[in-house]
Amino acid sequence: MNFFAPAAFWFAAAIPVVVLFYLLKRKRVVRLVSSTLLWQKYLAETQASAPFQRLRHNWLLILQLLMLALAIFALARPYFAGKVTSSRLQVVILDASASMQSTDESPSRFEKARAGALKLVDGLRDTDQMVVLQAGASTEVKRSKTSEKSALRRAIQDCVVTDSPTRLNEALKMAESLTRDNNEAEVHLFSDGAAPGMKELENKGLRLVYHQVGRSANNLGVVTLDVRPNPEEPSQRAIFTSVANFSAEEKKTEVELLFDGALIETKPLTIAPTNTTPAVFLAAQPRDGVFTVRITAKDDMPADNQASIVSLLPQPVKVLLVTRGDRFLEKALKAAGKVELSVATDVAEERPAVDLVVLDNVAPSAWPTVNVLAFRSMATNWFESLGDVETPVIVDWRSAHPLMRFASLDNVAVAKAVGVKTPSWAVSVVDSPQTPLILAGELGRQRIVWIGFDVLESTWPLRVSFPIFIANAVDWLNPASIQAAQLLVHAGDPFRLALTEPVKAAEITLPDESKKNLAVDPNARELVFGDTAKHGVYRLSAGTNQTVFCVNLLDAAESDTRPREELDFGKFGSVTATTTRRASLEMWRWVAAIGLAVLLFEWWYYHRRTA
Amino acid sequence: MSALLTPELLRRLEQFQLLARRRAKSSARGERRSRARGQSVEFADYRNYVAGDDFRYLDWNLYGRLERLFLKLYEEERELPVRIFLDASESMTFGEPRKFDFARQVAAAVGYVALCGFDRVSVVTFPDLEATAENSAELAARGALRAVRGRKSALQFFQSINELTARGATALNESLRRGALQARQAGAAVVLSDFLDPAGYESGLTALVGRGFQVSAVQILARDELSPATFGDLRLIDSETGGQQEVTFGKYRLNAYRQTVENFCQRLREFCTVRGVNFFRAASDTPLEDLLLKQLRQAEVWG
Repeated sequence: MNFFAPAAFWFAAAIPVVVLFYLLKRKRVVRLVSSTLLWQKYLAETQASAPFQRLRHNWLLILQLLMLALAIFALARPYFAGKVTSSRLQVVILDASASMQSTDESPSRFEKARAGALKLVDGLRDTDQMVVLQAGASTEVKRSKTSEKSALRRAIQDCVVTDSPTRLNEALKMAESLTRDNNEAEVHLFSDGAAPGMKELENKGLRLVYHQVGRSANNLGVVTLDVRPNPEEPSQRAIFTSVANFSAEEKKTEVELLFDGALIETKPLTIAPTNTTPAVFLAAQPRDGVFTVRITAKDDMPADNQASIVSLLPQPVKVLLVTRGDRFLEKALKAAGKVELSVATDVAEERPAVDLVVLDNVAPSAWPTVNVLAFRSMATNWFESLGDVETPVIVDWRSAHPLMRFASLDNVAVAKAVGVKTPSWAVSVVDSPQTPLILAGELGRQRIVWIGFDVLESTWPLRVSFPIFIANAVDWLNPASIQAAQLLVHAGDPFRLALTEPVKAAEITLPDESKKNLAVDPNARELVFGDTAKHGVYRLSAGTNQTVFCVNLLDAAESDTRPREELDFGKFGSVTATTTRRASLEMWRWVAAIGLAVLLFEWWYYHRRTA
Repeated sequence: MSALLTPELLRRLEQFQLLARRRAKSSARGERRSRARGQSVEFADYRNYVAGDDFRYLDWNLYGRLERLFLKLYEEERELPVRIFLDASESMTFGEPRKFDFARQVAAAVGYVALCGFDRVSVVTFPDLEATAENSAELAARGALRAVRGRKSALQFFQSINELTARGATALNESLRRGALQARQAGAAVVLSDFLDPAGYESGLTALVGRGFQVSAVQILARDELSPATFGDLRLIDSETGGQQEVTFGKYRLNAYRQTVENFCQRLREFCTVRGVNFFRAASDTPLEDLLLKQLRQAEVWG
């Protein structure tokens, strides 16, 4: 225990004064009585006449001293020892991610974290300042630096838990910037630790106190969801999903597939502890619509028990091949699914009526603004040529990139390539030591895949990876599939929609059927909607355009609700959950209350004797 | 007739007579039946005539029937000495009305009843007074009260009682013991006191009983003593001893105090009952009639 105002102990000098008052002869009413015989019983009590004897057994004195001691104690403002390091500035980070909805704590992890944060506010000294951050998909400053406790309490009460994954990094970075020049600052993180990507955080000199909530994990979650055409039966759609079990025991559940809310199929699933089990559904799709996957088992966290995806009926891709003749390429393009291929030697307009343009080693008279697959051709605003590179050796490729799916570049030799430097808007997909060979990226609103060599000057067309790559490229560059990918949004991420025509206003129907109006700048070419904290199906109507998009958690790290005792900060160490350090709880109110009680008791006792 | 007793009360008291449980032993003649044979109208016994007896008491009717001479014996009526022990200590001056006034009234009443019954009344006032000039009038009154007889003396008796004052420290035991020894014959004894003597009352009452007195003890307490009305931090001064005691007394302790008083009285009552002493307790502010006409009568002190 420590004291905020130890100077108050000088008041203890008053204790001898009280004793002195008792030593002084009390003024008594003199009364003549017939005989003191009948009073003998009472005389015995007060008969001691020596001063110090008189102090013995004087309960009034003891009560008064006790009351005085309590008053001094309260004035000294005691608080518990573990809280000596109470800092001048405290940053409270409340994790408001989906995993905080778990009900293993009562009523939920988030409510427990909130209660802990409120306790921290209670323990705040008058001069201390606090910042309240809410960490969801994005970090919100709920209350900027203040020492006003009511405002802080209100801010903490205002925090709401979302369906989004945690981005603690962002919050911690913000906290770090807030506390940078403050040596006494402390960051209090109220979280269950279910957050990815903490390893990159540069936790230098950040005094982080981790208040861990959550006791156990009992959660099943849909962690992936994808819909594709069934390769074996083009009229059908294949829905790929996987369900993860983060509890410590084996779980059985049923996975339901719904199309636009109507149940299509149910599959029983048994998932081993901490394992992920995939499930594939095949379903005919009569129209554009929403597939929803739902698991029926009860668990602590309902936010990830359901995921939805918008599935649009496949449309043929219109491809314009501008070439001086390349049969390999033409064949590969024709083989890449539903493609309406037209071949030309030049493209004269900026926006040809196609979905994508393939430029095969030609410089078009007008650079198209639609998505482009270019072989050696490059516009001047893309990057600069550094001259040719002879026989570049392919050393690496990004197999995780959608372009390289199932495409292996083993045994591919290239005779000559254009040497370039990777620009900022693109990533290198295939590398040689001298130059990137294939670049992919988005310049403005245009997707570009650039191959730095003529395929006819390589062995690539003879390899099986070439048609696969072309098919991947057509898929990746197809605006329809791009849009389809945009219709699947992670909770907390903003939803973007490219506008083909200017609109003035848009209306969004949220999953709970409430409507929200968006004001849109008439000149804007893109519509952004950020309020995607709740998972479910959103319907957007902008002008004549009706769009359905789905917000899902689909985050294995977030679904993993196992409470973490330790937050890993990579090479900068880790922070262990604290249970002992709490808010510096001031006790003077309680001490003063006890003092008041003693005062009342003393009053009563006095009057019992003399009234 | 006097301020002590109202004429109405006196008239009612005239009807009473002190009831003696034992035959009177006094040598003086009076109206009490005694063991002694003498001249009265009450026939007691016969005895054989011996030479020298007064012929006037021979039963001639019997002589006519039996031809033997018998002498008729009559009970001799003798007086009942009544001693009234009146506590005139300082402590008796308390109360509203004063305990001493109440005690004097009782003494006057008892004395009047005795005088009406041709009994000898002596009032023993204690503690003793020093013989000084200013005390002379009271000493004379005390002397006059030593022995009073006859109804005609009643007025004088009342006046003397009226002149008594209360002062000094009680010496209850000593006074009673001395009173018991001084009495030539035992008779009725009435002790009027508050019995608040630090030295106790036991040996004095025992001495009276042992001497053969028929004792009645009347404890007179003031209302203020039964339930005090002064509270707070008090310094109590004993009126008789002058001793000072500091006391903190509150309403919450009133019941405890009352219990103390009750215990004191109960002890006295038990002490008296065991020794055949009539015990009465009266607060000084209760009506005198209640004690005189009810309690004493019920206890058959008089009737």
